[in-house]
Amino acid sequence: MTAVVLALQEGEHAAARAPSSPFEVNFGLFFWTWVVFILLLAVLYKFAFPAILKATEEREQRIKHQLAEAERMNAEARAMMEQHQRLLASAKEQAQALINEAKLVAQHEREALLQKARDEQDQILERAKREIEAERERAVAALRREAVDLSLAAASKLLQERLDDEANRKLVTQYLGSLETKH
Amino acid sequence: MQVPDIGEVVLHHTADAWTVELPFIGEWHLPRWPDVHVGPLVVNLSPTKHVVFLIVAAILVFLTMWLAGRSLKKQRAHERAPKGFANAIEALVFFVRDEIAIANIGHDGAKFAPYIMTLFFFILYCNLLGLVPYGSTPTGNLAVTGALALTSFLVIEVSGFLKLGPKGYLHTIFPPVPGMKGVGATVMSIAMGPIELLGKLVKPFALTVRLFGNMTAGHFVILSLMGLIFLFGHLTGWNWAIGFSSAALVLGIMLLELFVAFLQAYVFALLTAVFIGLMQHEH
Repeated sequence: MTAVVLALQEGEHAAARAPSSPFEVNFGLFFWTWVVFILLLAVLYKFAFPAILKATEEREQRIKHQLAEAERMNAEARAMMEQHQRLLASAKEQAQALINEAKLVAQHEREALLQKARDEQDQILERAKREIEAERERAVAALRREAVDLSLAAASKLLQERLDDEANRKLVTQYLGSLETKH
Repeated sequence: MQVPDIGEVVLHHTADAWTVELPFIGEWHLPRWPDVHVGPLVVNLSPTKHVVFLIVAAILVFLTMWLAGRSLKKQRAHERAPKGFANAIEALVFFVRDEIAIANIGHDGAKFAPYIMTLFFFILYCNLLGLVPYGSTPTGNLAVTGALALTSFLVIEVSGFLKLGPKGYLHTIFPPVPGMKGVGATVMSIAMGPIELLGKLVKPFALTVRLFGNMTAGHFVILSLMGLIFLFGHLTGWNWAIGFSSAALVLGIMLLELFVAFLQAYVFALLTAVFIGLMQHEH
């Protein structure tokens, strides 16, 4: 190693001679380079890099934060929309249920009304029937009375003509009796 | 017209110097200090032209970063979006931090990011200084790139040692051989030792020579193309065409050099990050 170094700095012993080619190695420059480089590194590390890096890292942080915020708000909005949709769906369902119920009630009402009308009609019919029956009976009774009267009139006429004809009287009575049964 | 020795001129211009050329003023002769003896080494710590430009690059990097940071802070205080120069620097800094350091080192990347970022911007500014009139490229000096690569080497190895522990680190030199047991495995591991050690040393060496070569070669090409003017300038009637085409070619190479300045800074920082990452994830 030392031999290499000594060979490299062959010209260096003639310290009075200025370097004449870029291939000469001046070991003094190692020292200078290190001093300058390490000083620069220290100064940049202390005064320059923090300003640049911190400023930008802060911005990065802020942008990241804003992105997270946006993400959160987006999620919130989506949740809200879902909730609204759920609400809307449930409202629709409720409305449907109400309509169905109303329909059912109307159906019942209609059926009840119809039943009532039918019942009333039946009652009216029944009453009419009963009245007709009564009227007919009254008419039959009246007719019978009339028939008896007529028969009596006829009989009295007949009696006037053939007063004591017993046989005839029997005949009339028999006839009247047949009327009775026929009816 | 006397033709100068182009090769001599090229080497002289790309070499380090004891003087700094200043516009309108002339030459600034840097002080010469006596040699220092460190064991068998003779080191002369006198500042040279490249030292001056190292310091200039460091000051420019610091000013850029500091002003960008300040203006970013101000923009932040007013809740404004970042814009302009500060935003460009910010984008570059974050590119180096995220795409070079963290992408290659892993979650520990943030810890190494300041080093990688300093490395990138320092090398970039050193590279760019060579393209400025009266400027010089400190990274076109083997000692400078060697020192930077040695720093990288130390960071790579020390961070690996701290992460893996003594046993884990020893395994990076004497790797356990899969599928072998007993004495055979031990012999195999020890035999791998020199190769692994060489592998460790080759990395900083490659970093050194790559950066130095790229920077110096660009200057060689530019100066050689300029030299064409002096070689063929005596052809009367054609000298304007020679000058024009040489200048056009130099312009093209200059634009290429601008790209190479960024590319080599990126490559140096990237490879350092990759090597750190490799050591961190060695098992």
